[in-house]
Amino acid sequence: MPRRLLTGACAVLLAVGASACGGSDTETTEGGLTKITVGAIPIVDVAPLHLGIDQGYFETQGLEVEVKNTSGGAQAVPGVVSGDFDFAFGNVTSLLVARDSGLPVQTVANGVSSTGKEGEDFGAIVVPEGSDIKSAKDLAGAKVAVNNLKNIGDTTVRNSVRTDGGDPSNIQFTELPFPDMPAALEKKEVDAAWVVEPFLTTALDGGATEIASNFVDAHEQLTVAVYFTTEETAKKDPELVEKFVTAMNHSLSYAESNPEEVRRILGTYTEMDQQLIEDIRLPAFPPDSSIDSVQTIGDMMKEDGLIKEDPQVSELFPGRA
Amino acid sequence: MTAPSAPAGAASAAPAAPPPPAKKSPPRPRRRLPGGDALLGTGGVLAFLLIWEIVPRTPLVSADYLPPASEVLATLAERTATAKFWTAVGDTLAAWGLGLAIAVGAAVLLGFAIGTVPVLRAYTASTVEFLRPIPSVALIPLAILIYGTDIASTLMLVIYAAFWQVYVQVLYGVADIDPVADQTARAYGLGRWARIRHLIWPTALPYLITGVRLGAAVALILTITAQLTIGSPGLGQEIAVAQSSGAPDVVYALIVATGILGVAVNTGVRALERRVLRWHPSVRGEAAV
Repeated sequence: MPRRLLTGACAVLLAVGASACGGSDTETTEGGLTKITVGAIPIVDVAPLHLGIDQGYFETQGLEVEVKNTSGGAQAVPGVVSGDFDFAFGNVTSLLVARDSGLPVQTVANGVSSTGKEGEDFGAIVVPEGSDIKSAKDLAGAKVAVNNLKNIGDTTVRNSVRTDGGDPSNIQFTELPFPDMPAALEKKEVDAAWVVEPFLTTALDGGATEIASNFVDAHEQLTVAVYFTTEETAKKDPELVEKFVTAMNHSLSYAESNPEEVRRILGTYTEMDQQLIEDIRLPAFPPDSSIDSVQTIGDMMKEDGLIKEDPQVSELFPGRA
Repeated sequence: MTAPSAPAGAASAAPAAPPPPAKKSPPRPRRRLPGGDALLGTGGVLAFLLIWEIVPRTPLVSADYLPPASEVLATLAERTATAKFWTAVGDTLAAWGLGLAIAVGAAVLLGFAIGTVPVLRAYTASTVEFLRPIPSVALIPLAILIYGTDIASTLMLVIYAAFWQVYVQVLYGVADIDPVADQTARAYGLGRWARIRHLIWPTALPYLITGVRLGAAVALILTITAQLTIGSPGLGQEIAVAQSSGAPDVVYALIVATGILGVAVNTGVRALERRVLRWHPSVRGEAAV
């Protein structure tokens, strides 16, 4: 009977989920627009996507975009591979790891980049008020909070320590969600944290001190995240990809040159407080990814053992590297 | 056939009702008790809110991370005026209701089919005991892989969690047949269907309702969990968005909303229980108080 029970349960589940099991076949709306689904984590980084929809850039390309909230790259990658999303937003580390484990993902447009300005980036390593840690090299042996282990956070923090002349081998990385970091710093539960906006501003307001800009240390124009799809979609529907890329590039340029518009749109898809929206540092939204910076990150990942083979940068950015 | 007497399992799971008072006891204490309970309950909530209001104003916790109750309730009031909030509530209730209905339906069918055939029951017992303790949350990666981030993945988790609650209760209920009643039914020549309708069903019903009550709560927990971690639409996802926006007042307001939803769900199932089991001694006793 276990088989009977399981088949029964599966049949029920299948009946319910049949619509969700399809591939990435696109539908057309009554107005002649092609419906696409984009998976994106509802944070500052994806402001250009929301802004582009708001400005009608996607509609001009004949696309109707439905943004589905994800909780990060860990869900964006399977979402795209299973065909649930046509495109998704994911950080380059997650994508290089995905490629390393044989998942056929490829970049279509840039997502978000570091500002490249030391002390003015949207992410930083911070220490609690009154800490003895004054610069990155002092982090040797310290307990450092990152949002995900074996990802862009610990890799770039190690690099910052190395660059500053310290020994990163015995840093104790501990996993902590970004929203919990300001409180953990205030209570001195960790010696340092790698934190991004809007929690960087919250942490600094709470008395924390910024000691390094790990993204800037890694590369002067670090590409942090990109929009991606599967090789299958790119091959099967190059026109759709082309339209998405055109609209996305318009959106990125608009966001890059209109920071006040980025702050306005943040009030629509996040729950951020108006004051916080005005205070945070915005990332850079250049339409072009820096392949060179992705190669740098990839090399660091190989060194740290996050990927087994050499980073598949040219596969992730076909025709670019 | 008269209804079977209260099964032990159902009695212990039934609301902790005071023993039925002796007949013709004076009406005064009867009326005062429920009123007193409600008063105590309200007092408890007020005390909790008062502590919540005071604690963030002490050095214990910073109001930046735990806003006081008044602020959170004000945010909740603001939210209830938006269509977005009610859409999220609707999505949550839809996933909960659909998941629970499928789980109960499957559990009743399989519970009766397997429970009434001792061989099948023995054959499946160890499998059930293996599958039952697997936490639904552990299936999240599998759910995302199969169903993506749609409502279907939420449903899979909800159904899996709620199913066992109901199924095991139904199995116990079916096994609780009074042997004398069973033999009497057989002696009168009642067939399999007649016995299910007049003997097994009324015996198992209190167990089933208990299972539904347990399942309803578990289903709500899993609905919110799935929305929170998978990101399928509903209150859970709204909480996740507020959390990643650094808006603790919204986070707590939505948490309070899920709590209220939980109370509403429990009250609803209790009402259903009283209706369906109005003939049952455990409910009749409660109603008399």
